Amino acid sequence: MADYTAVLPIIIVAGIAILIPGIRALSKSDRVTGAAALIGLGISMFLVLQFLWDGTAPITFAGVIQLNAFSALFMLVFLSVGAYVVISSVGFVKGEKHTGEFFALVLLAISGMMVAAGSLDLITLFIGIELTSLSSYALVAFRKKDKRGAEAATKYFIYGGLSSAIALFGISLLYGITSAYVDSGGLPAGTNPLLFTSIGAAVSAAQVTADPILFLATVMIIAGFGFKIALVPFHMWAPDVYEGSPTTITAMLAAGSKKMGFVAYFKIFLIGLLAIKADWTVLIAVIAVLTMTMGNLIAVSQTNIKRMLAYSSIAQAGYILIALPIATVGDPATIAGFAGITIGEYGLAGGLFQIVTHAFMKGGAFLIVAALSTVAIGESISDYKGLSKRAPLMAFAMAVMLFSLAGIPPLAGFASKFVLFSGPVYASQTAGNGWMIWLAVAGILNSALSLYYYARVVKYMYVEKGPTDRVKVPLSMAVGVAICFLAVVIIGLYPQPVIDACLNAARALLGA
Amino acid sequence: MSELFNLLSDMHVLTLLLVLPLAGAIITFLSGSKVKAAKVIALTFSAITLALATLLLLAYPYGQTITSAFQFSFVDNIPWIQSLGISYAVGVDGISVPMVFLTALLCFLAIVFSWDVKSRTKEYMGLMLVLEVGVMGVFMSIDYFLFYIFWEVVLIPMFFLIAIWGGPRREYAAIKFFIYTHVASLVMLLAILSIYFNAASILGYNTFSMVTIGSVGPAFAVGFQSVMFLALFFGFGVKMPIVPFHTWLPDAHVEAPTAGSVLLAGLLLKMGAYGIIRIAMPTLPSGAQDWQWLLIVIAILSILYGAFAALGQKDLKKMVAYSSISHMGMVLLGFATFTTIGVAAGVFQMFAHGLITAVLFMVCGIVQHIAGTRDIPKLGGLAAKMPYYATFVMIGFMASLGLPGLIGFAAEFPIFYAFAWMNGVWNWWILLPIISVAITAAYYIWSMQRSLFGPLTDKIDTSHLHDVSWYEAAPLVALSALIILFGIFPNLIYQYITPVANGILSFMGVL
Repeated sequence: MADYTAVLPIIIVAGIAILIPGIRALSKSDRVTGAAALIGLGISMFLVLQFLWDGTAPITFAGVIQLNAFSALFMLVFLSVGAYVVISSVGFVKGEKHTGEFFALVLLAISGMMVAAGSLDLITLFIGIELTSLSSYALVAFRKKDKRGAEAATKYFIYGGLSSAIALFGISLLYGITSAYVDSGGLPAGTNPLLFTSIGAAVSAAQVTADPILFLATVMIIAGFGFKIALVPFHMWAPDVYEGSPTTITAMLAAGSKKMGFVAYFKIFLIGLLAIKADWTVLIAVIAVLTMTMGNLIAVSQTNIKRMLAYSSIAQAGYILIALPIATVGDPATIAGFAGITIGEYGLAGGLFQIVTHAFMKGGAFLIVAALSTVAIGESISDYKGLSKRAPLMAFAMAVMLFSLAGIPPLAGFASKFVLFSGPVYASQTAGNGWMIWLAVAGILNSALSLYYYARVVKYMYVEKGPTDRVKVPLSMAVGVAICFLAVVIIGLYPQPVIDACLNAARALLGA
Repeated sequence: MSELFNLLSDMHVLTLLLVLPLAGAIITFLSGSKVKAAKVIALTFSAITLALATLLLLAYPYGQTITSAFQFSFVDNIPWIQSLGISYAVGVDGISVPMVFLTALLCFLAIVFSWDVKSRTKEYMGLMLVLEVGVMGVFMSIDYFLFYIFWEVVLIPMFFLIAIWGGPRREYAAIKFFIYTHVASLVMLLAILSIYFNAASILGYNTFSMVTIGSVGPAFAVGFQSVMFLALFFGFGVKMPIVPFHTWLPDAHVEAPTAGSVLLAGLLLKMGAYGIIRIAMPTLPSGAQDWQWLLIVIAILSILYGAFAALGQKDLKKMVAYSSISHMGMVLLGFATFTTIGVAAGVFQMFAHGLITAVLFMVCGIVQHIAGTRDIPKLGGLAAKMPYYATFVMIGFMASLGLPGLIGFAAEFPIFYAFAWMNGVWNWWILLPIISVAITAAYYIWSMQRSLFGPLTDKIDTSHLHDVSWYEAAPLVALSALIILFGIFPNLIYQYITPVANGILSFMGVL
């Protein structure tokens, strides 16, 4: 009898997903269906929290999925995203067909993300990502009569399929390299060659490092998973898809799917390819700076709020990516407060923290757009004129989300950017890593740039005069927004537990 | 220690000074649609805050011996984010106490002065109180992280005050103000992070405490200090503002509502100067000495540029805005002398300029309100119709141009004195800032002569001109009284500042 503890949270979410169409058919109520989905997510979240609470050693299932501080942190993020997407979708999809399938697909996507978070080898990671991707394609096309939705889904499917193929090609090359290494006796016979640790061991060996195929595989991996994260120059699909999707699904794509791409990057680069870091740190650093700069520059000229937020998501991905080169710095942090961790772990924790806060602030912003669209407030930024009079609470929540995205204290976005950007500053004080300070400089200049387009939306909402009729958003959507709002404010005022969780997660990944 | 001191310590007076306006802001925002209620709530809370700040001023033991740059009273210290070494830590010394008092005073008076705000009164009053929390926090934080949070919190209410209640180009001015000062803040943040990690590697543990980091400041590498000082100087300087990073200021001032201008010039600019004397100079002593020449050059540049630009303005408010640049340059010049007299006078100038500039912006607001224009060429002979108004203008202008007996003189004269007698090659340079005295006198007297005296103007409709209302006169009377009081007895404030200025400079090792 295998120990299913590690996969139980995933099984529960996936199991409920399979039951949901039946629940919908029997109850004929979106609320009941949503509640069922929520119960599944809640139990799963409880199990993950219990694991973190107990602080027990990592639990592995079948050698390919592991519940540890790193995967638990990501699972919690994904489950929270799932929860607020489900809650707000109850009001969002009211009166539409196939809502049972809608909720089922959301849960399947979440379980795919959880598989990716827990994965120990490349193929499990890939399966998790594909599970999420396939569910998301259908979700994007949920409103099949909507032309923009259909176009977005087609585009997403083609780009997604292509990028999966590229990633898979990279994986197969790595498989070849590692298998050859196992066969040559470098690792015990029968070792799973796709384990990140096997790849790590193989890549450290001299004869492999020199292999040009390894370089090709690295490039394929960067490109393949770079599409999923929407890094520049693989970002073209994101604004169209984010704009065309049902907005609660956009929230899930930005807050969940994108983060799954980071899971892939962190695991492959920091466990598998750490030995050849000299080959990719600068490349990743350049991509990070390009991504944040392009994202912010293009966001400035957007008139549609979903597109603006999409480009802002691209920029945020650039910020998070800063953590990857920093995480390779192995020097121990000789400071008492950070006893027992390396500078790299501190830097990675900054990236993880930004992932957590971004899930709430960007998700929250999209949920507000979704909520307002149900009361016939359009998606053009000029439709938000005078919003502070029409929907004061929504306008206030939006202002908080946007200021948090810009990194204004005392909100969560400030706390996470503070830790994230302090990583390069810290790393730059070690030998040979002086250039990393420029990552912090680039991030900080970009934050200032981003303030322009965030403040513009706030200006429209609070300064410009618009229609004065009061609007009332559906309760379930208001609850979804409230969750994100509270998370942003509370994490901003008391970030200590989240920072500790991120430090533990970073240690679990890099210390492995 | 007096009984009052113990009483205030037990009350956690500094935390109370932050909580009171915050509570007032929340209650104001939540108050119903009654305009009067919002005003009364805001006024009450700011009045209690002012009373408390006055008690703080009276209770602060200014007679104590100051031996270090970082010797604070009324300290509240609660760990906040332990893994990063961040605490909620507040405390005051002889430099911050007058600034805290000034903050409470100006916020209270600005709320009184805004008694006739009719559009969105509730939000207006609430934002004023939020601003008060932010500025208070900056002047009392002794933890870098907390300091930065309050520093940034100030931006948001000011952004809204300009963007919603401002003049015709308010949106442009508000966003320009926001982005300029935010960029500067971020550069400052980068410097703070570098200092934090450097201090941590010297200390062996990480902390954002200003006191602890300051104590290892002299141990930082010389090159590091030099770079960091420049970054901090930029971060604080934009807020001050220093030439050439001053261009946001005239726009923001011209468009801001009167009370917004009062707080902007009276308090927000002081935050920049405060950062230099509280953080940049004592924490990075050798960096400060490396760049002393730059401080002096920029100070003189700001003094002269501000004065000459003011001379060329037609808009009364823009003239006052440029005069602020000139007077804040004076603060910097005082600091740059690295002498006790100069630094103390620089801090005193911060206090003095806060009082004077409040009067100046208020009279600009009144003339805009009553005559409908601030254009100096369109005004004339107002003294005949508005004698009280003319009196207040004269007090403000005379104080600002440094008439002996008023507070401006008590600040500027020691600065010039300190600069002229400081060591080194700079002695003859005193002639440059001295020129500004003549220019300043010129633009004030000239504008006064054109707008207040002579025949009554026929360019505007003068039939409905009336003198100042009670809610406009009351703050002006209070400010004028203080301008005269501290002009005659400047030592009332200097006794707080001088020991700390001495402590900072001896800590830096430049005395």
